[in-house]
Amino acid sequence: MTVKDLTHISALTAHHIADGEQPIKDIYCGDLLSDVMANALEESALCTIQGHKNTVAVASLLGLSVIILCNNRIPPADMVEAAASEEISIFSSSLNHYKTALELTPLL
Amino acid sequence: MPWYRIDLHNHSCLSPCAEDDLTPFLLAIQAKEKGIDILALTDHNSGRNLPAFGEACAISGVVPIFGIEVTTIEEVHILVLFEELNQALAFGLWVEEHLPPYSNNPKLFGHQLIYDEEGNQTEDLTKMLALATMLSFEEVVFKALEEGALAIPAHIDRGSNSVLSNLGFLPELPYSAVEVVRPNKNFEELGYPVFTGSDAHRFEEVGTRGCDIELSECSAQALIAALSDRRSLVQIRRG
Repeated sequence: MTVKDLTHISALTAHHIADGEQPIKDIYCGDLLSDVMANALEESALCTIQGHKNTVAVASLLGLSVIILCNNRIPPADMVEAAASEEISIFSSSLNHYKTALELTPLL
Repeated sequence: MPWYRIDLHNHSCLSPCAEDDLTPFLLAIQAKEKGIDILALTDHNSGRNLPAFGEACAISGVVPIFGIEVTTIEEVHILVLFEELNQALAFGLWVEEHLPPYSNNPKLFGHQLIYDEEGNQTEDLTKMLALATMLSFEEVVFKALEEGALAIPAHIDRGSNSVLSNLGFLPELPYSAVEVVRPNKNFEELGYPVFTGSDAHRFEEVGTRGCDIELSECSAQALIAALSDRRSLVQIRRG
């Protein structure tokens, strides 16, 4: 699956797509960024409600492919700006973490 | 300059997680007993016990700092500390306005007891304080600083409700200081004054984790000025 495949999932809305061809090889669900830093694998999709620009920094540090903000959380403007600058894609989801991950899993 | 003992993180019976017996009066009396010179009350997301706390400090002979421990939308705790009671009360109402509209269930979360300046219990607050506000971390820090308050990320090295646990690292913002549970050299290198606080929720915890600070005089004004002026070198040592 690549980032552009996420645009076909109706529950997701794109806020910034850095590279549509970026592969997604795993999914990680978590809101505590200290835990995400310790456990998420490179090229993962991160399902989180943590709509903060630090999430972008963590994604950049780990080489995550995309951040998906669950439960309809909309990324604040400074987070989208940071994502553009760090070349990290951001989507939001109308579903919770679990159901968002379920939507992505068959495409992995 | 002389050293004074400060304890800038304490709860009263208004915080649902604190003991019902820990009234603002008992907090101030016990802090005095423990040798605290400057004491803050920092209930969760509300300042409604601050008037009683001010009176209690006047009676006990402790210098009061009027605070609120705000829970941000990222579920990070920040201490916001004022010299002036009225400013703290207004800030507290602003914080309360940004809480989700749920009623507290005292059986599950504990009571939220308000005391008046005469020491009478007047209310068990209905609005649930044990939730995160809709205010972002940055919004709280900047609003506090704009109003002349101190903005201090709380217990940054704790595994929950801390900026490091929830946001991974400390965003570079002009904090007045940072509060830690276990001080070490790494925190000193962050470039902010580092202090400990009791975070007292129970009588036995009052005055147990304060620290000492060098100030021109024993006053809230001197403390706030020392921490607000980033050029000054504030000396803080564990109590």
